[in-house]
Amino acid sequence: MKKRKTVFIEGPITPSFIANSIEKHQTKTTIGAHNIFLGQVRADEIQGKIVQAIDYSAYTEMAENKFHEIREKTFSNYDLTCMHIYHSLGTVKAGEICLFVFVSAPHRKVTFEALEFLVEEIKKEVPVFGKEIFEDQTHVWKVNK
Amino acid sequence: MELKILYFGMIADATGCKEEVISLQPGCNTNQLEKILKTKYQTLQNLSFKIVVDQEIASSQSILKATNEIALLPPFSGG
Repeated sequence: MKKRKTVFIEGPITPSFIANSIEKHQTKTTIGAHNIFLGQVRADEIQGKIVQAIDYSAYTEMAENKFHEIREKTFSNYDLTCMHIYHSLGTVKAGEICLFVFVSAPHRKVTFEALEFLVEEIKKEVPVFGKEIFEDQTHVWKVNK
Repeated sequence: MELKILYFGMIADATGCKEEVISLQPGCNTNQLEKILKTKYQTLQNLSFKIVVDQEIASSQSILKATNEIALLPPFSGG
């Protein structure tokens, strides 16, 4: 079996991590199109209080298996050169990045379709739980729309 | 038999722990387990969750075995 890729990152995904990831693809010259999705933590107002951060936890073993299944399904459905998924665990402040999905292919069209498929599958299938934390340290549990 | 049960997110808030071992009669199914847990933790009655057996969503009639890893998962909210 192929080695599973690491998906989870402790804390926010930094802009420099994303820039490095793009740079690493400059040697892969069969690629003509990249497409990137970045999920950012919103400072939602809930019952008069503003979300300061989301604390992410996961059923890690199941989540990693689901990420792997989603990767395999996406590779079999779409003609991609490569695909990278990173998701935060732990605290990510409002305005910081918590999800980074990166697909690449020789031509653009398939990257749009594959990226949307991937992000929707991740939201629906992967057991990750976000605790929205307010300034007074109270919290509510986020539910995906 | 004894079964390990994992709790996540708002479910772990409701039970006050992230995992525990529960004693069950052999042949118990997921439906019966759900009833036992909802009796033990009244707060679970108002929460939405799925019971997962060995990382697969279980049907209510699935017979549980001592080797199973059980988890109660609230709605997912990744990304």
